[in-house]
Amino acid sequence: MPQNNDLKDMIQHVAGIIIDELKLEDVTPDTFDPDLDLVDELGIDSMDLATIALVLQDEYKIVIDEDDYPKLKTIRLICEYIEEKQATRH
Amino acid sequence: MRANLSIKPKPSRPKFSDLLADPVIRRRWEKVRRYFFLRESTYDMTNRCNIRCDGCYYYEGDKQFAVENLNPGDWRALMRSEKDRGITYVVLAGAEPSLVPELLQVCYDEMPLGCIATNGFKKIPESVGYKIHISVWGNDLTSERTRRAKNLLKKQIENYRGDPRAVFVYTYTRENIHEADEVAAELAAHDCRLTFNVFSSPLGYNGALRHHAASLAQTRDSMVTLLHRYPKQVLFSYYNAVAHTSLQGLHDLYSCSYPRCNLSQDIGLGRSFRQYRTDLNWDRSVACCVPDTDCDDCRHYAAGSAIVTARLYRHVITPDTFKSWLDYVDTYLAVWVTGYEKSENLCDRVVEPPPPARESLMGV
Repeated sequence: MPQNNDLKDMIQHVAGIIIDELKLEDVTPDTFDPDLDLVDELGIDSMDLATIALVLQDEYKIVIDEDDYPKLKTIRLICEYIEEKQATRH
Repeated sequence: MRANLSIKPKPSRPKFSDLLADPVIRRRWEKVRRYFFLRESTYDMTNRCNIRCDGCYYYEGDKQFAVENLNPGDWRALMRSEKDRGITYVVLAGAEPSLVPELLQVCYDEMPLGCIATNGFKKIPESVGYKIHISVWGNDLTSERTRRAKNLLKKQIENYRGDPRAVFVYTYTRENIHEADEVAAELAAHDCRLTFNVFSSPLGYNGALRHHAASLAQTRDSMVTLLHRYPKQVLFSYYNAVAHTSLQGLHDLYSCSYPRCNLSQDIGLGRSFRQYRTDLNWDRSVACCVPDTDCDDCRHYAAGSAIVTARLYRHVITPDTFKSWLDYVDTYLAVWVTGYEKSENLCDRVVEPPPPARESLMGV
C-alpha cells in the first residue's frame, strides 16, 4: 500500500514503541507488518493495549479514550487514530 | 480506626513516564506487569456440596441443575482446548471442588496457574499446587447457623494452617462485621493468611446478609483496622477496601466487562472469559465470575480482581491513584498466584475510584 513519508515514519515509531513495551524479540520496526491484527494475530490483550496507549499519549500528546481500545487493532489504525486526534487538537 | 482521609482525584492527567520516574512506583509497576499475561476462565467442578450456606450463589439459577461430568479425559481435553484459545489461569469453583480431587489434579497437570474456591472442610491434596481460597463467613457459631457446619473454622485451620497455597477469605455480611476481629485473631495466631470479600446478593435476595450504607461503612472500618493490626497476615490495601465497600457496586464504579454485562467481544474479558458449568457447557449471556449475583450489589472479591485490575488506564491520573491501583494489583496477585509475595502497600490513604478516562474529563 503506498504511503507518505510521515505516515511511514509514524508507523515505524509506533512499531518501535510496541516492540519495546511488549519486549518482542523476533521483529523490528522495519519488519513489523503495520496491518497485523495485534489482538487476533499477535495475541495482545487489554492490559497490553492500555500500557501502549499510555506511552502513545506521552509520545504524541493526545488523549486516548478507554472506549477506543477496540479501534486500535493494527499499527496502521493506531497511526490513523493518532493523526485524527492531533488534527482535532490543532 | 476510621478511614476518613479522602483524596478526590483531580481531572488532569500526568504523563505516564513522569509517574514511572519515581523509582518506587517503577519497581512496583515492573513487578506486577510481568503478570499481565494472565487470562482467566472459571469452571464449576461438581454440582454437590458438603454444606449448604445461606445466600450461596451456586444454588441460584440454572447452573445447579447441570449434570456432572466426572470423566478425567473430558476435563483434560477441555483444559487443552482452553490453553489453545489463550486461557492461562483457571478458577475452579462450584459447588465444592474438594469433592473431586482427581479432576483438580487433571486440571493442575494441564494448566499450572489457578485457584480453587473451597469451604475448606475437606483438605485438597498437596500435589494440586493451585492457590486455595477458603471461605469464612463469621465465627463458628455463625457458621453453624448460616452454613449448617459445626466447628468449621477449627477444621479449616487444621487443614490449612501454614499451607502456602491457602488464603482464608472472610466474607463480610451485614450480620458478621463484629466477628471479623476474633476470626482474624484466630487465623493470625495459626499462621494463616487472609483477605476480605463483601457479601454480594444473589438475584432476588433481600435477606439479612444484604449490605446497606451503614454496614458498608462499618465493613470498611473493620477492614482497615485489621489491615493495620495484621500487616503480615492480611492481604489487602486501602484501595481494596474503597473499591469493595463503596455505595456504588463494582459494576457502576468500574464498568464491569464480564460477558454477561458486555456485548463486545473485541478484547479483554468480553473476548476470552467463559464460565463453564459442571457439564462443561457455557452460556455467554450469564457468564461472569459469580453468576446469578445481582450486578447492582456486586462487590465480590473475585469480580474486583478482574474488573479493577483491568482499569489501569483510568488510574493513571494522580500519583496516589496510580499507587492505589498498584496496591490493588499487588494484592490481587498475592491472593491469586502461587509463589507471588505481596509487598508493602504504597498508598495508606483512601483514594476514591476515578471516573472513566475520557478526553472531556481531563487535560493533556
